[in-house]
Amino acid sequence: MTASFLLIPAVQGMRRTLRKRHPKVLLALIVGGLIVALTLYYGLFRFLAHVAKAPMLGPIVGPMIGNLLVARFLEMIFLALFFMVVFSSIIAAFSSFYLDDEIRLLIASPIGITHIFWSRFILMLAESSWMVMAFFTPIFFAFASALRSPWWGYLVFLCYLGVYLLLPNILGGVLALTLSSFFPIRQMRKVFQFLSALVLAMMIIFFRFLEPEKLLNPRYFTSISSYILNLRAPTMEYFPSAWVQQASLTLFEGNLAGSLMTAWPLAATLLAGLLVLHYGAKRFYLPSWQASLEAVENQVLSLEWIRRVLILPFRGLRREHRVVAEKEVTIFLRDPAIFSQIFMMAAIVFVYGYNLAILPLKDLPSLYSGEINDSMVYFNGPFIGFILAAISMRFVFPSISLEGRAFWAVKASPLQPSRLMWVKFFFYLGPIWGLGLTLCYISNMLFKVTNPLLHWLSYVNVSLMAIVITALAIGLGALYARFDADNPLKVAGSFGGFVFMILSAVYVVNLLILQAYPLFRLYFIRFYPLTQPAAKVYIGLSFLLLIVCTIAWVYIPLRQGKEAIERYEPD
Amino acid sequence: MVLKDIRKRYGTFEALKGIDLAIPAGELFGFLGPNGAGKTTLIRILTGIIKPTAGQVTICGADLLTQPEAAKSRIGYVPDRPYLYEKLTPLEYFDFVAGLYALPVEQARQRGEEMLRRFALWEWREELIESFSHGMKQKVAMSASLLHDPDILVVDEPTVGLDPRSVKVVRDFFKDLVHRGKTIFLTTHTLSVAEDLCDRIGIIHHGTMVALGTMATLQQQARSPGSDLESIFLKITEEEEELPPATATSPAA
Repeated sequence: MTASFLLIPAVQGMRRTLRKRHPKVLLALIVGGLIVALTLYYGLFRFLAHVAKAPMLGPIVGPMIGNLLVARFLEMIFLALFFMVVFSSIIAAFSSFYLDDEIRLLIASPIGITHIFWSRFILMLAESSWMVMAFFTPIFFAFASALRSPWWGYLVFLCYLGVYLLLPNILGGVLALTLSSFFPIRQMRKVFQFLSALVLAMMIIFFRFLEPEKLLNPRYFTSISSYILNLRAPTMEYFPSAWVQQASLTLFEGNLAGSLMTAWPLAATLLAGLLVLHYGAKRFYLPSWQASLEAVENQVLSLEWIRRVLILPFRGLRREHRVVAEKEVTIFLRDPAIFSQIFMMAAIVFVYGYNLAILPLKDLPSLYSGEINDSMVYFNGPFIGFILAAISMRFVFPSISLEGRAFWAVKASPLQPSRLMWVKFFFYLGPIWGLGLTLCYISNMLFKVTNPLLHWLSYVNVSLMAIVITALAIGLGALYARFDADNPLKVAGSFGGFVFMILSAVYVVNLLILQAYPLFRLYFIRFYPLTQPAAKVYIGLSFLLLIVCTIAWVYIPLRQGKEAIERYEPD
Repeated sequence: MVLKDIRKRYGTFEALKGIDLAIPAGELFGFLGPNGAGKTTLIRILTGIIKPTAGQVTICGADLLTQPEAAKSRIGYVPDRPYLYEKLTPLEYFDFVAGLYALPVEQARQRGEEMLRRFALWEWREELIESFSHGMKQKVAMSASLLHDPDILVVDEPTVGLDPRSVKVVRDFFKDLVHRGKTIFLTTHTLSVAEDLCDRIGIIHHGTMVALGTMATLQQQARSPGSDLESIFLKITEEEEELPPATATSPAA
């Protein structure tokens, strides 16, 4: 009762945040989110349904091995999910248990320490798991559909997922309590931010190196047939991922009683975990919180030489613009989580490059290989766009919010806040554009593009995407600025970050649609000459519309962002 | 500094109900009022951080709304809560602020060093601001606000969090600035500071200026000859509390 009472301010804050949004915007976002979830669900469902049948192995062996493959895949996802949530929950626990400002007030109040702890645990749970839950639910539903689950199987599965997500959170909570009893809390958070990114990056790379697509390609079948025979045995028999996988598979078969029987170790572990955590909180929470007050942040000014090198290019700028750029570099380098995030992004870029390198383009019939390679350039655009958007979401989108409560200094100065926004736009455009062009150059090299039109068009597309994505990140970053947030990850994972990702995807689709017709006609000009005048008009109109749309995609978010920061009134 | 009929409305709540005020150069003006009276709102309006719903602010002849750059370049502002860029050192922060005001680098560094030495922060110049106490941050904010040698200094609660020695330094420094012809607009709840330093004092209550003038004028207005500022403040704000709202909104200035 008391623990839930302590959650009232957080719930009220959330309701206030939601009320601030325009109902139409909210509706558009819900619809957008549902479309993304449905796309994810449907795409994966089709893939899994295909894998479950494994038609290349024949009608008898195929479904048998296919279902085993799907089951193994499900276990891998559960396992990966577990470790991801453990690490994110430890980081969330450090903030929620120790670093949030309101804890001082709660500790000073006559409320039992375990009530305070459980209220903080629920906040931690919400912070570390809401996005995972939102993202993974359509994925798991795709598994359920591919394995032909009855309708009630989905509902029961949600309970399993909830229980399963509680376990890594409990483990994260116990680890945070234990570690903070022995080590300075602020340093621990940094270490775990780094470690979590490292583990996630390694998981991405590891999974990529497994080359799961080989499981479906008959060319590789003889070499992996022995491996498939081993698929029946779970990877980690005594781990919750195996229990929840077994319970889910039985559930999807329509056997509720059997599934519940299989799930008992999960429930027993949950109960034991809750008891351990409760005891741990009672015994260690207050002393470890008190110890966290004594741990003084001892930031060493390292990497000063890198900072000096990085600020050199801004020497030629006007003084008021230069100081903004220099401050951006300085704060960027002193963010303790920055290197883990860079590492994470590097892993995504690496996986992208590796994916291109192992594409089975050499298996294509030679007659069409040139055309297919060329068309890959066109379809590669969205992937580069996605990488640029993901990187911008982490580094560019939070940049206005990171001005933080110190933003009054800019607002009280003669520098117009909109100029600050423009400086930030150009500051981030350079690296984002450079990265886009580099990725484009590498992919064009790997695709061995023969058509000069497509070759140059890919660079133009990447440039347009870089400009629009940066403008969206800065503009929406200002529109949805959270000047009270100290952690860029929180800003990136906020409602505004979600809007940014959706709109970036919409622009990329917009770009591809507007180019589809002219490209088709120009590429196949040797087969279908442009004899009709209407075709030329359509091509011209498409490119004109593309230019107009791109200008609008840059202008509107920056304009909205400018108005938002000019309107902004500090608390 | 001239304020004409400044109003600020938040939804249905009227935080400022028409403030008129003129402060000549070289005056140290004290601005007092109970919590929630509208002091910080007015300060934020006259530093250009927020816009008034109606009214005009003129700073050294420049309209703050239509010529914000010209007006803001003449003001230095020290907020009540010194939120600064925590990942910068004081010297880096000064460089940044000096850049915002387009000051020459050398002038800014020289002035920054002078201010840090005055506030006994010189040995902390290479440390990140995040490791500073509230009082130290307050001193950094005050130093930064003076880098461009503003004609008007607006200070919200200057002595909160400062040790007694620093309070004395600040008081002497304010006197020195006024002596050099600078204008200071100061809010404080430490009435002894206001009484000791200010040439004129304004008292705001429920968004209305309920009293304005020198100590003698205020004593007269409160019908309490010889009283100290604390008694005058309590009497005026209590009287206003007792009056019906319609009467309470009439400006006293």
